[in-house]
Amino acid sequence: MTDRKMITLTIEGRQVQVPEGTSMLEAARSAGVLIPHYCYHPGLPVAGVCRMCLVEVEKAPKLAPACATAVADGQVIHVHSDKAREARTGVLEMLLINHPLDCPICDQSGECELQDYTYAEGRKSSRYREAKRFNPVEDFGGDVLYVPNRCILCTRCVRFMDDVAHDPVLNVSERGDRAVIGKFEDQDLTHPWAGNVVDLCPVGALLSKDFLNKARSWDLDRAASICPNCSQGCNATLETRDNVVVRIRPRPNDEVNRYFLCDEGRLDYRWLNRRDRIEYPHVRRDHALAPVEWEIAVDAAAVALRGRQAFVLASPGLSNETLFLLARIRDRTGGRGAFRVRQGAEAPLPGVPDLALRADRAANGRGAELLGFSRSETPLEGLRNGDVLIVADEELAGIDPASVATAVARAASIIVVGTTLPAWASGAAVVLPVANMAEEDGTFTNLRGRVQRYLQAKQAPGLVRPAWSALGDLLTALGESALYFLPSDVFAALAAAVPAFAGLDYDRLGLVGVPVAGDGAATAAAGALVGAAP
Amino acid sequence: MAINVKVLARPVEDVSYVRATLKGMALTFRHLVDPHKVTVQYPEQRDELSPRWRGTHRMLTTEDGKAKCVACGLCPTVCPANCIKLVPGEDEQGNRYPLVFEIDEFRCIFCGYCQEVCPEEAIHVGRHYENSEYSREGFVYDLERLVSQTHAVCEMWDPTDPRGE
Ligand code: SF4
Ligand code: SF4
Ligand code: SF4
Ligand code: SF4
Ligand code: FES
Repeated sequence: MTDRKMITLTIEGRQVQVPEGTSMLEAARSAGVLIPHYCYHPGLPVAGVCRMCLVEVEKAPKLAPACATAVADGQVIHVHSDKAREARTGVLEMLLINHPLDCPICDQSGECELQDYTYAEGRKSSRYREAKRFNPVEDFGGDVLYVPNRCILCTRCVRFMDDVAHDPVLNVSERGDRAVIGKFEDQDLTHPWAGNVVDLCPVGALLSKDFLNKARSWDLDRAASICPNCSQGCNATLETRDNVVVRIRPRPNDEVNRYFLCDEGRLDYRWLNRRDRIEYPHVRRDHALAPVEWEIAVDAAAVALRGRQAFVLASPGLSNETLFLLARIRDRTGGRGAFRVRQGAEAPLPGVPDLALRADRAANGRGAELLGFSRSETPLEGLRNGDVLIVADEELAGIDPASVATAVARAASIIVVGTTLPAWASGAAVVLPVANMAEEDGTFTNLRGRVQRYLQAKQAPGLVRPAWSALGDLLTALGESALYFLPSDVFAALAAAVPAFAGLDYDRLGLVGVPVAGDGAATAAAGALVGAAP
Repeated sequence: MAINVKVLARPVEDVSYVRATLKGMALTFRHLVDPHKVTVQYPEQRDELSPRWRGTHRMLTTEDGKAKCVACGLCPTVCPANCIKLVPGEDEQGNRYPLVFEIDEFRCIFCGYCQEVCPEEAIHVGRHYENSEYSREGFVYDLERLVSQTHAVCEMWDPTDPRGE
């Protein structure tokens, strides 16, 4: 990129410098000018089929499609001149000829580019009096529903399946005003990344069955987050309605996931809304767990740990901050720690380098390794007689509960620091209820060693606190200086103590993350905001 | 401390109470001899309400008796009193339909925005004002109650002259 010739041009009266070969649309974006567009998407090859991006170029005989025209030196481009606006109004009128205008029952309403541009530049009323074309709703398989009446034939979905997923399932069937998106016979949108067509579709033609009729886009609260479901660490946005996570959508990051999110990641969010949470701290009194104040529970945990070695059974879904504090408790007592990562089939997205749904189905296995926890399929093996077992939000799902119970019986006592209380840990001496990843701020380290922040998306129930805060108190009760008021304080302590994280802080991480020191993949331009922020 | 009170000389006909008292008495006597009615014998008798009266809500229905609402979410969005609760979902046929639709008539300020914004002409403010309940909860009207109301609804504009010309 750097050795390419730079070109200077004027867009809407603003001078911009871009490398040779840049399209007008991208050049305008770098100048902060939005050129309306439908078929163009930064993650897909250019098609130039919708003609929405027409702009006026001085001294050129006719309007140019901005997405498919490269800039030239000294060009003067007008996006909002009368001629360009008139052309786009015409394009919109054509698009709306067969459009049902069923916004009240359309899931896209409120985040629809057809609505937005029609509102901005469309005609006030329709001149079309004939009956509209009608096609029934079609189930495209996977999570995708196709509503052909709303389709504007931008072909983003076709290009995604052809050029990014390399699984050509979709096509443009029929011609002219009868054209619709078709599916090749006996094939379904079951590619593990096919759900992205729902986000790519600029209108409400491709819908998620999971999200169907659930919420209005303007009712949702959004938080920048990281997909917690595998070690790839795709950047995501958690969307909540009334404190319930209802959707996960991709957040652009050129270094990790570009504009995409896999189906498993985007659909596996219900555990963030679990109802069987422990909501209050508990300590064992008279053979039963009794709810108590936080101070009492933390002191009881400190008493249980005194003079004993801790064995930390950590979840690889915990934040770096929490794992760091657990590691300090572990090291202070001369104990050990282990974690187990649930495995699944790996599913790459061929069109994007180094992007796949990873076999490790947890976000922070790498962070746990960097902080000295050992990975094991049978993590309780290292538990010795007389250890204090600290169960850090791990349920050991999929392992025979009876064998877990016998292993756990070796422990002198059990401290649960978690969102739930697994049956095999019901003999715990102390239970500290903590927030899940949607309810706290923190960082994950992905499999390439990239440290990325996630922000709180919803409120935690009951007296639940973030794990870093509870463990900070526990460390203080054990006699260390660990007074933390913010997760960034914990991260600062982590950066100071662990060489791999040296020099990092929340400001440097930004919202796109930075690779840890000394990592092979550490070449990326750190912190630079890439792609369009949503 | 003495204050200098300025006494203004005002014309006697402006400050005299005699004239005002006589005026009032005259009115009283006039009503006594000519009993033209100002009192409405409510509830036997009722004044007619303006067609644009905005009172307690009513949800209109389709021919098969179902609420016309498609849970588009516009009325809870526009409502300045934030008194409409809507949970969108689907009906038995899989059409978009409100799972929960409640209006808190106590919080409502009867602005009529909900009727104006509704794309389905479903929710309406009513030409109705007689409300009494045994509990506060009774004023949270759910979908069933809104559908079963039968009073006339507000006409936001004159159908024969929609532009008000
Ligand atoms: S696709 Fe957009 S314009 Fe069409 S019905 Fe849906 S929200 Fe409305
Ligand atoms: S379904 Fe959506 S993405 Fe596909 S061509 Fe139609 S409008 Fe474009
Ligand atoms: S009349 Fe106004 S305040 Fe009352 S429910 Fe409708 S929009 Fe809300
Ligand atoms: S505006 Fe009308 S259709 Fe939309 S939610 Fe309200 S009552 Fe239902
Ligand atoms: S965005 Fe340029 S033609 Fe579609």
